[in-house]
Amino acid sequence: MRKTYVYIISILCLGFSMAASAQDEPPDTVVIPLKIRAGLELAGPVIYFTDKNNLSFEGYVSGDLNEKMAIFLGGGYADFKYSQYNYDYLSRGVFIKAGVDFNLLKPEINMGKYWAGIGLHYGQSIFTSETPSFEHENYWGTIASSIPLRTSWGHFLEISPGFKAELFNNFSIGWSVSLRRLIYSGTSKDLMPVSIPGFGTGGKTMSFAMNYFITINIPYRKIRVVIKKEPPEETEEVTAPQNP
Amino acid sequence: MKQTFRNIPLALFTFVILLLASCSPEACFEETNAFLKASMYLQVTGKNVAPDSITLYGLTRETDKIYKRSTAVKVAKMPLNASASSCSFVIKINGVYDTITFEYSSYLHLISKECGYTFYHMIDTTLYTRNIIDTVRITSSRVTTLNEENIRIYY
Repeated sequence: MRKTYVYIISILCLGFSMAASAQDEPPDTVVIPLKIRAGLELAGPVIYFTDKNNLSFEGYVSGDLNEKMAIFLGGGYADFKYSQYNYDYLSRGVFIKAGVDFNLLKPEINMGKYWAGIGLHYGQSIFTSETPSFEHENYWGTIASSIPLRTSWGHFLEISPGFKAELFNNFSIGWSVSLRRLIYSGTSKDLMPVSIPGFGTGGKTMSFAMNYFITINIPYRKIRVVIKKEPPEETEEVTAPQNP
Repeated sequence: MKQTFRNIPLALFTFVILLLASCSPEACFEETNAFLKASMYLQVTGKNVAPDSITLYGLTRETDKIYKRSTAVKVAKMPLNASASSCSFVIKINGVYDTITFEYSSYLHLISKECGYTFYHMIDTTLYTRNIIDTVRITSSRVTTLNEENIRIYY
């Protein structure tokens, strides 16, 4: 009977010690706070200080669906004036973008604070444009004319790889590169807009931009995410060469 | 010291933004005139051969020659008048005069932000005298800034 008690106590002690040792190992799950983010783009207003003809405001909100994916909704306003040796151009309008952002960082690294990934967005812009004056000169003389104010809808796709990091509690900064493909400019191919709000320089089907964001993060829920453990690396055993 | 290190990313951030703001190339390096491109073909051989000499000017603009006894002109560039629906040229090939008239429509085209607008044309009809010219054939009626042949002049 006494031996039985000793046996049970030994089993319990072994059990407790195994449980204690298991706590020292890395956890199998991490708690990730899901957040709603609201951000402002900084490059547009900064550029306006150096170029008063180019005003652009852009902001976004996004909501985490899980640790990897977030729904994105952005929008902004642009007022563009341009004057070249043979023409003047004005455009003004608003745009919206919607899509998804994918965080490519592992949950145990991003911890809801870091984002390094890619955004896939669809954008739509409504804007007015006008060419108050232009001149064309050739062998037969000079023609001066204008293109009256017109309203157009532009559609584009955007791929935005980038990085965001939480500097302080629920305050992030980050940047992204925007590669945009114009689907429809809202005008004929010959009279493409010089600038499309949200898309950038018109007259071309592709555009490129750098964006810098400050973002406020509002946690709304926490989720527990299972960490996928990498299988231990197999070490090749070195075998001694066999004697013939 | 720690404060200094904290300010470095902020300074870099501002620097990059200002750098981007200052990068705005504005020069135009593209062709801004849409010329009608006329290839010169020898009727006998049917090959693209430059005449011994060519002189070209707009009708009523004799003093302002586009080509003046030029040699080695395989493709003659003819500027159309965007403010009219037709224009005529006097062409002198190997010392023999002819007149070519083009009827066309013109429309605006944005070349690029840097180069602005130009006029493209759509050729409708060609009328010509037949002193040295045998035939004028339209190969592409759309006259643009691209280097594409629009007509063939067989002489």
